[in-house]
Parts: sequence; C-alpha cells; structure tokens
Amino acid sequence: MTASSTAITTVYTEHVSELEVVSRTDVADGVISLLLAAPDGGELPAWTPGAHVDLLLTPELTRQYSLCGSPSDRSSWRIGVLLDPASRGGSRHVHEALAPRSRLSVRGPRNNFPLVGAPTYVFVAGGIGITPLLPMIAEADAAGAQWTLSYGGRTRASMGFLDELAAYGDRVVVWPEDERGMLDLDGILGRPQPDALVYTCGPEGLLQAVEGRCAAWPAGSLHVERFSAKPVDSAAVSTSFEVICQRSGITVTVPEDRSILEVVQDAGVPALSSCLEGVCGTCETAVVEGEPDHRDSLLSEDEKAAGDFMMICVSRANGPRLVLDL
Amino acid sequence: MSAARDYPLDCWYVAASAADVGSELTSRRLLGRQVLLYRDGAGTVVALEDRCAHRALPLSMGSLVADRVVCRYHGFAYDATGACVDVPSQDNVPFGARVASYPVREAGTYVWVWLGNPRRSAGSAVPRMPWLEDPAWSSLGGELTVASGYLLLHENALDRTHFAFVHPDTAHRGYLEAEPPLKVEVSETSVSYARDFPAGPLTAWQSAATGLPPDVLCVQRESGVFVSPALHVDHMEIVGPERSYRTVFVRAFTPVDGSTTRVLWQVARDYATDDALASESLRRVHERTMLEDQPLLEAIQATLDRDGAPRPVNAAADIASVKAHSIVRRLLEEESPQPQ
Ligand code: FES
Ligand code: FES
Ligand SMILES: [Fe+2]
Repeated sequence: MTASSTAITTVYTEHVSELEVVSRTDVADGVISLLLAAPDGGELPAWTPGAHVDLLLTPELTRQYSLCGSPSDRSSWRIGVLLDPASRGGSRHVHEALAPRSRLSVRGPRNNFPLVGAPTYVFVAGGIGITPLLPMIAEADAAGAQWTLSYGGRTRASMGFLDELAAYGDRVVVWPEDERGMLDLDGILGRPQPDALVYTCGPEGLLQAVEGRCAAWPAGSLHVERFSAKPVDSAAVSTSFEVICQRSGITVTVPEDRSILEVVQDAGVPALSSCLEGVCGTCETAVVEGEPDHRDSLLSEDEKAAGDFMMICVSRANGPRLVLDL
Repeated sequence: MSAARDYPLDCWYVAASAADVGSELTSRRLLGRQVLLYRDGAGTVVALEDRCAHRALPLSMGSLVADRVVCRYHGFAYDATGACVDVPSQDNVPFGARVASYPVREAGTYVWVWLGNPRRSAGSAVPRMPWLEDPAWSSLGGELTVASGYLLLHENALDRTHFAFVHPDTAHRGYLEAEPPLKVEVSETSVSYARDFPAGPLTAWQSAATGLPPDVLCVQRESGVFVSPALHVDHMEIVGPERSYRTVFVRAFTPVDGSTTRVLWQVARDYATDDALASESLRRVHERTMLEDQPLLEAIQATLDRDGAPRPVNAAADIASVKAHSIVRRLLEEESPQPQ
C-alpha cells in the first residue's frame, strides 16, 4: 500500500464529565460545598492541587470553581460555592438549582495555579479563596514542607472549612474582620523569605494588596489565582496584525476589533477556550516568534516579560506579526 | 550529552514485571539511578539504592540473609528501610550509614517504584489497569529496551500519522475513502486520542486473533491515552456481528536515563482468552510494530544527541504530543526539591 495523502481533521476538545451532585452541605453563611461524582461511580480525570473545573450550568452560563477535595479521591470532586449577591448569575444558579442528584456537565480539570515544590509556603486566603488552597495545604503538609495559612473573612460564620483547618493547629491563623480587623499583610509578607513561595486567592482587593507586598520578594515567589479579570487598562489601543499558525500552516489577519482566538477558530484551527476574558488559562498558546501584548489576568510579570506563552482570547501583538504554536 | 533531565521523578514508574522480582538481588538502572530490587521473606518487594554506603560497591553483588542485604565487600548489612544495621568489624553502626530506600507498589503484572520525594508518593496512586487483572481477560507481554528518550516513545504512541509509512501492513485501511477525524481530548494531567473507523474488512492479524472471517465488515474504534509520564494505554475495539472484541495495549515507559527507555508492554484481550493462536498473532503484531518504530526512534535520538535539539516543527495532527510535552514540562516545574 502506498501512503495515503488524505488529510486528517483534528477535533480538539477538553474533557467533559457528566456528573451528579452526590451531596450538598452548608459550610458557612452563604457558602455550600458540593460533592460531584459520575453517576456510575466511574473514575474521574486526575488533577493536582490548585486545579479548577468549569461548571457548564446552562448553554450561556459557565463558571470556574476550584477543586477543594483530595486529588487522591478519584471518584468524586468537591467544590465550594459562595452565593455572591453581586454575581453575574453563576453562584445563584448553583445555589438555587443544584441539589443532590442534579446532573451537570463539568469541563476540565485544568490548573493555572499549580503548587510548585518548595521547602516553605506562605498561604494567604480571603473568604471563598480558601478553596484552591485546601488541597495545597494538605499536599505541602504531606510533603513535609514548612507552611502557614492566614485566612481572612468578614465574620467567622462566613468562613468555610474552619473545622477541617482546625486539625492543623496554629499553622492556620484565622482572621475574621469583625474580630481582628484586616489581615496583617505587613506582618505576614513584610519580610521577603528567599526560599518560600506565596500562594494567594481571594477578592481582588486582597490579591492586589498581596501583589504590592510581594514586590520586594524574589521573582517567581508569588502565585495568584483569580476568578475574574483584573481591572483593564482602558487606554490600551488595539491594532490589526498577522498571526501565523505554525502547526496548521495557516496565516490569518486579526483586525482591531476581534481576538486572535475568534479569528483562528474561524479559520478552522483547533484551539481551546472557556472564559474568553483572560482568567482561566484554557486558551494558553506557545509563542514561537514575535512579541505578545499581554492583556490577561493570569500570567505573572515575569511570564509576560518572557513572552513564551500568551492567552489568545484577550492578548494581542506588539508589532505586525506573531507566530503561534497552533 | 548532558541535557537537562526531562522526566519527572515525582511519579510512579514501572521498575520491573512482578514475575522478574524474586528473592535474589537484582539491579536495574531506572531514571539515571541504580536500583536494587528483591522480595523479602514475606514476599514484599523492596527497592534500595544499589550502592553500599561504605565503599560504593553495588549491593546487588552481595547476598540476602534473613531479609538483610549483606554487602559482598565488608559485610555491612542493610534492612528494608535502607538503614545499615550491622557492621561486622565493630559493635556500633557508624552514624549516617544508610542507603536510599524507595516506595514500591506491586499491582498485578507490574512493580512500580517512586524515586522522587518519598513523602509525595503517598498522595499519588499507581494507575489502575483492570484488564490486566480481570479473569475475563487474558494478557501477554514482554520487555524491550530502546535507545531513545521516553518522550520520543510517548510521541510515537500518540502519533497516528506515521502508521501509513511505518506500519503499512498492520495498519492497512485500504477500504477507507477518507481518514476519519482524529479526536484529541485533554485534561489537566492527561491527553488522549480517538478515532472511529466505518465498517470495513479486518486485517489478517485481526481476523487471526478474533477468529472472525476477514471479509466480515466491522466498525472499529481505537483510542489511546497518555496516562502519566510512565504509561501509555491504547484501546482497540472491533464491533463484530455478535459481540465486541476489545484489545488493550499497555506500554510502561521507564527512562533508564535521558536517552534510553525500557518498555514493559502487555496486550490484554477479552476474547479467545485461552487460544494460543490468538496469543501468537497478537504477540507477533505488537512486537512487530514496536520493532518497526525502534530504529526510527533510535536514529532520531542519535541525531538529537549528536547535533542538538532545536525546537521541532510540529504538524496539526501532532496536537496530542504537543500537549503531552506541556504536561511533562509542568510536572518538572512543579517538582518538589529532590532528596540527594
Ligand atoms: S479562554 Fe480563558 S484565558 Fe483565554
Ligand atoms: S563496600 Fe560494602 S561493606 Fe565495604
Ligand atoms: Fe508506531
């Protein structure tokens, strides 16, 4: 037989699990935890601490939640959901519509917030931001690392998972705002520690304050997980540029009013996406040549400067041309 | 060449077939380390650094006496934790006399070992491979050493576009009018491909293995998954007129060092389970495809070693191997500080 010259179409997707709510627990004021499993009890995809999944709630409503159970439990996933009055509908839908035996589609897991091995960790959580840190703490503790968690929240009653955290003793410092005021970030982060990594998740105000305190820390020390986009720099102008999709051998022009992602997908180039606002990491693409204009809320300053990867749902080009690994 | 290590240590790798580990001391090179393997009196597999703490003589040259490894040179004796518990020339054991001991899991056909940070092993399970243990299935297998890095083997296993060129006889799909789409699916730690073939005739080996006549038209499904840096599993299903015939091809890829890989493979099937001809046919076709790939992978590795490894040009259908590389890259970045 001679080799066929027939082209092969590649369909590229992220794993989607059809799951069932096994149980729903109130863990604090306005916070529930859901345990999800395959209806047939089958094995779920593996994940590592810091991973999140997309709940595909309705065709228009997709929301990201951190996995907060144990990665060694391969038959169920736990998430924690805060009913956010200011939410765009995701958490309300979860609180109102999901009960034991509800079915839902869950995409992922994926991880933009991986726990990098280190001898020492400083964990800083605000409110529901505790969720991705729970499996990280368990892993750091099991690996024999030194660690501390500072956990802030409005009131003690609003802070979930305190019972689980109690097992760690005084490594965990609980800071309800109405009892102790704001987290003492100067005390926690004021002095840079060369061999420690900082992991933080919580409301935007906390994340920005932690970023400020960590400016003096060694590059790469700080790891931040965001579930909503950073406030954007509205002065940024968008121009048109060319994108060469290297693997596919296709060149496209991205006009000023469209994203790289939209344009390449229209050209039939397989590319993944989820949030479309530069927070989830699904569309991360390797840059072969050219300088990206990063507009995501995900990459660190060092990663942006290195320019090896970019989020093509929001980021653009500094210059006329990018060659991407697509 | 001293390229940076490209295999994570914090991962379970197959050290040996369970049948190959007995009460005699055996030594294997795994992930750039020399590892001593044996079964103690209770049948539990032990993995230790194969290097005496005293004068670096391989402990595998010594002997196993009452569950202690006794060095051939001066008789230092080590227990299963790697601690030196006896030094014949003195009453006390010198401070710090110990060798590394590695976490081990025995599961069915394979003995798995964790050579990274031992404390991280507890939270990580060895992959489940029910077909290798289920009595309704039967399996056969073997071992092969390939002079190429383990990532080249993973790429090769995820790569469907080389079949027409490298395995034209085993993979013949001459009846196809168009190539079916290649579905590639990713999750955080794994990547898989799947293809469904419309009804067509079987190849000679498929008909020999299943006992189906070659001209009966069957739908076929194939898929494969990068389970971890240590493991690739392929599934092939032939939908026959009466039933489905499922074959699973397991390949454990264990880096010996950066440019040599040991492949411990198994082929399991849920049909003709005690038919020697089926076994023979499956053994032959799987060995043959591996031997067809081997010289190519070795020539690639030799070229990379000799002339360096600039970024390769990928094609669209290489998306699965691109993703496997990015999974491995992240695992390496996250790896915990390794004990010396
Ligand atoms: S799709 Fe979420 S970061 Fe681009
Ligand atoms: S080298 Fe092992 S006892 Fe001396
Ligand atoms: Fe092959």
